[in-house]
Amino acid sequence: MVSWLGYGNSATVSIVLDDEETRTKVPVLLEDDGKEYQHLFYDGDNVSGKVVIKLKQEGKKLEHQGIKIEFLGQIEIYYDRGNHYEFVKLDKDLARPGDMTESCSFPFEFLKVVKQYESYTGRNVRLRYFLRVTISRRLVDIIHEKELMVHQLSSYPETNSSLKMEVGIEDCLHIEFEYNRSKYHLNDVIVGKIYFILVRIKIKHMELSIIKRETTGSGPNTYNENEQINRYEIMDGAPVRGESIPIRLFLSAYDLTPTMKDVNKKFSVRYYLNLVLVDEEDRRYFKQQEITLWRKSPLSLKPENRGVAALESPQKENSVS
Amino acid sequence: MTGTLAMESEQAKYLEAAKEVVKREAFNMQRCLDKGQLMDGLRHATEMLNELRTSILMPKSYYELYMMVTMELTHLTMYMSAEFIKENKIADLYELVQHAGNIIPRLYLLITVGVVYIKSKECSRKDILQDLVEMCRGVQHPLRGLFLRNFLLTSTRDVLPDVDETSADTGTVDDSIDFILLNFSEMNKLWVRMQHQGHSRDRTKREQERLELKILVGTNLERLSRLEGVTVSKYQNHVLPAILKQLINCKDSIAQEYLMDCIIQVFPDEFHLKTLDIFLDTCCQPQGAVNVRNILISKIGRLSNYAQADPSNIPEDIKLFEIFSGKVTQIIQSRTEMPPEDILALQSALIKLALNVYPSETGYVDQVLQNSFNIFEEDKSRAKGCSTELSRMLRVPVDHYQDILTILQLEHFTPLFSFLDHRIRKELCVYIMEHVIQTDTYIDSHDQVDLFLTMMTCLISDQPDQPKEPEDPEDFELQQSLVGRAVHQMTSSVPDQQFLILNMCKKHLLNGGDKRIQYTLPSLVFRAMELCRVYFELKEEDEKWEKKVCKILQYINSLLSALVKAEYWDLALRLFLQSALICDLMGIQTAETIAYEFVSRAFAIYEEEVSDSKAQLVAISLIIATFERTINFSEENHEPLRSQCLRASSKLLKKPDQCRAVSLCAHIYWSGKNRENEGSAMRETKRVLDSMKKAVRISNQCMEPSVQVQLFVELLNKYIYFLDNGCTDVTQAMISQLVGKIRDDMPGLEASEATNQIVQHFNSTLAYIKSKHGMSFPTS
Repeated sequence: MVSWLGYGNSATVSIVLDDEETRTKVPVLLEDDGKEYQHLFYDGDNVSGKVVIKLKQEGKKLEHQGIKIEFLGQIEIYYDRGNHYEFVKLDKDLARPGDMTESCSFPFEFLKVVKQYESYTGRNVRLRYFLRVTISRRLVDIIHEKELMVHQLSSYPETNSSLKMEVGIEDCLHIEFEYNRSKYHLNDVIVGKIYFILVRIKIKHMELSIIKRETTGSGPNTYNENEQINRYEIMDGAPVRGESIPIRLFLSAYDLTPTMKDVNKKFSVRYYLNLVLVDEEDRRYFKQQEITLWRKSPLSLKPENRGVAALESPQKENSVS
Repeated sequence: MTGTLAMESEQAKYLEAAKEVVKREAFNMQRCLDKGQLMDGLRHATEMLNELRTSILMPKSYYELYMMVTMELTHLTMYMSAEFIKENKIADLYELVQHAGNIIPRLYLLITVGVVYIKSKECSRKDILQDLVEMCRGVQHPLRGLFLRNFLLTSTRDVLPDVDETSADTGTVDDSIDFILLNFSEMNKLWVRMQHQGHSRDRTKREQERLELKILVGTNLERLSRLEGVTVSKYQNHVLPAILKQLINCKDSIAQEYLMDCIIQVFPDEFHLKTLDIFLDTCCQPQGAVNVRNILISKIGRLSNYAQADPSNIPEDIKLFEIFSGKVTQIIQSRTEMPPEDILALQSALIKLALNVYPSETGYVDQVLQNSFNIFEEDKSRAKGCSTELSRMLRVPVDHYQDILTILQLEHFTPLFSFLDHRIRKELCVYIMEHVIQTDTYIDSHDQVDLFLTMMTCLISDQPDQPKEPEDPEDFELQQSLVGRAVHQMTSSVPDQQFLILNMCKKHLLNGGDKRIQYTLPSLVFRAMELCRVYFELKEEDEKWEKKVCKILQYINSLLSALVKAEYWDLALRLFLQSALICDLMGIQTAETIAYEFVSRAFAIYEEEVSDSKAQLVAISLIIATFERTINFSEENHEPLRSQCLRASSKLLKKPDQCRAVSLCAHIYWSGKNRENEGSAMRETKRVLDSMKKAVRISNQCMEPSVQVQLFVELLNKYIYFLDNGCTDVTQAMISQLVGKIRDDMPGLEASEATNQIVQHFNSTLAYIKSKHGMSFPTS
């Protein structure tokens, strides 16, 4: 994203990262449905590179009050456009005030930068990291920004019990469902099963969907935005008592983020599994369970692991007896 | 009716639309695959498979659609087999297709990819198979589930492991068995569930639909049977118990009946032999609804054929009959509500088994009959309304043995007759009797005769349960004639035995009442006469023959007395005369007395009971003719009898009758024999001529000229007969006098057909006399 609204168009600014060729890029959906690839950083990664300033016309001098580069992390609440909450702000001076007579580049380096949150673009809120170069001038500064993507990695959670619950409507429907974990990484597979203890309604089908709940604000100004990520049919037709229906849902199929709780006291993103039974009169019976999503280090996502995951038998792994 | 039609056209319309979509999406899929665009290809495949999510189509139409879709899926399979196996990407694909949001397309795709995955040998096929069959649980809709699982079964047809544990393959035949058994039981559950959905008023329609789908369930069993690795012991210990358990638990009669039959049909005979007990025990489970009848009959039939093909197929230690018989009895006893036709069908099957497999063991058949008898005897109500079936069952051994003697050995055959309706019982008796006659079987001991006639009792005598109104006379006559014919099948080559047989017949047949004996007793009388002749021929060898003959003659007498008592005069008269001839033939004192008695009885009947003049002439002619044939009367008895003939003849009412009878008497004097003559004719010429003269005199008294002339011509013939036979006292004068008389009267006759015949007869006679005796009688 090149945003340079300079007056006089006397110079172009670009930021070249040191490891640009080797660093992973991830696709990012833009607000205008476009797609952009951004470089991916993790917490503690150095951010280094050089700022290249090219004069439009060689020889014509560029007068400035100083050049600096900032590393910024900020949260934007959309309904509060004016206020950006910066939770990280590092800056470095690249040049003292003076004149530039030829194009030149300035190396920079932010060592072991703390990036405690994950980049996030939601319905009402955005958390983003970027580098900003500012060439201060008397009238209008020349500003150049570069977006960086940050992923927050977690390690395997210490406790990760299965989710198991018996729910029902008295004398009408009793089911027991079980998901193999309560915490899933983003490429994980949800395996589970639904056991029908009592069925007196005529069920047409059953779905398992993921709901993302984005919460912004606090106190009376709390605002919840629910988004259904998918519609995944897990059963067709009406089961009878004693049937057990397998569940296997591949999370990698969807665009998900880790669960974020109270990020900088500004917002949260939570995920729920919603089990929905639809009867022949199209009445919907549902039960939501929160699950925690976390991001696993890409290094440990080996392909063969996925192969095994694909074959995890829901019946075998979680026998309810 | 119109509702059905409307529904059908609605179905057709919907099916057409769905097929249209399938065709289009299949085309697009193919095009994308051709370009190597797998993701787009899968998207179109999903769209195509979405058509199978419909709830509108009836099984038949759904099947059509299913066939079309699965055919198109083979293109996908082929593409993936070619493209992915070499790139090792099939595992990714296996995950990828599971991202589909709808379960029906997802599972069809998963199965399609799964099969390719198995073929790629990248992953344990056991695991993949298990995964597929488990994931299919997600479809609980009976129709869609059945087809999906059928797709699973047919798709994996060629990749099921069929090797034992020693092989290094990833999966053994046991895995295949578990796979199919699970698929089978899930399919069966779905199939049974169809029965319990929807309104009860649609029950018939629903059952119809279920029957249309049965083959989908049965295919599982068929596939199991084609696994080479399923050995007898695996079948016995694992496969069959699992199938049976599912059948029992499902508590559904349609499923039980069809699948039991499936088991019987698809697995080999030796498997059935080994598992007879467990299979039959299952049949015995107290589940009233199961139509155990067809299942058992089918099973019995199958093993019976197997045994028949080669008796050594059945090991010595497996007593087929005992096993089946025991179970059948047990089932019948435990199910008191079992309809009698089912009971009988089962028993019939057992009888067939016994007959086919153990032809020499009549005891087996009898045992079945006894069981049947006991069942009905215990609860007579069970026998109601099943006469036809029972009769059919009883015909089985009759047809099979082709020999009534074997049937008679079956102690419990006849007792079962008591459970038949009168009409059916009679039909069966007629059937058996005709059978005996057709096969020309001889019943050659009096005990067997006793048994046979007891069996036939409903033809032999009146029955307490017979209908009040009399039977159709024609039918009755046919039946009784049949009995008469059957008497001739009761024959022993040993005369003494034959006499016992005759006595036994008499004992039974005399119970028949007046209306039957006229048909049945004559046969016995003739059989008795025949026996007399036999003894007569044996007189040199059997010193007691006289006594025996007398006994037979008394036997005949008692039969004839019965006929007299029943007032069958004509029949009795003829039989008396016939019997008298036999008595006479014996040439012994006692026989003569009896012969005299017989002739006199005939006379008595003639005098007292024959009133019609024509009948009288016939009767007296018979008496005279019979008497003329006798040879052993003493003069003491001969004299009164011949006088009686003459007397009776002249006492006839009509002159022509008198004339003819008297002229017949002349023969007695001419060729009659008595003991004193020692076999030579009497030749009492004077008495002959006296009789003839008397006859001429009587004919002179006839008023009707044409009758008179006819009588003269007849008498002329008699004269010539005597002349021919050496009666020298017949003179030419006598003849010419008669000829003259005829010639005188002839012209006075009215011209008619009768007259012509007389003239012709006369002319022929004259021509004969001329040629034979050289006498001519020129017209004066």
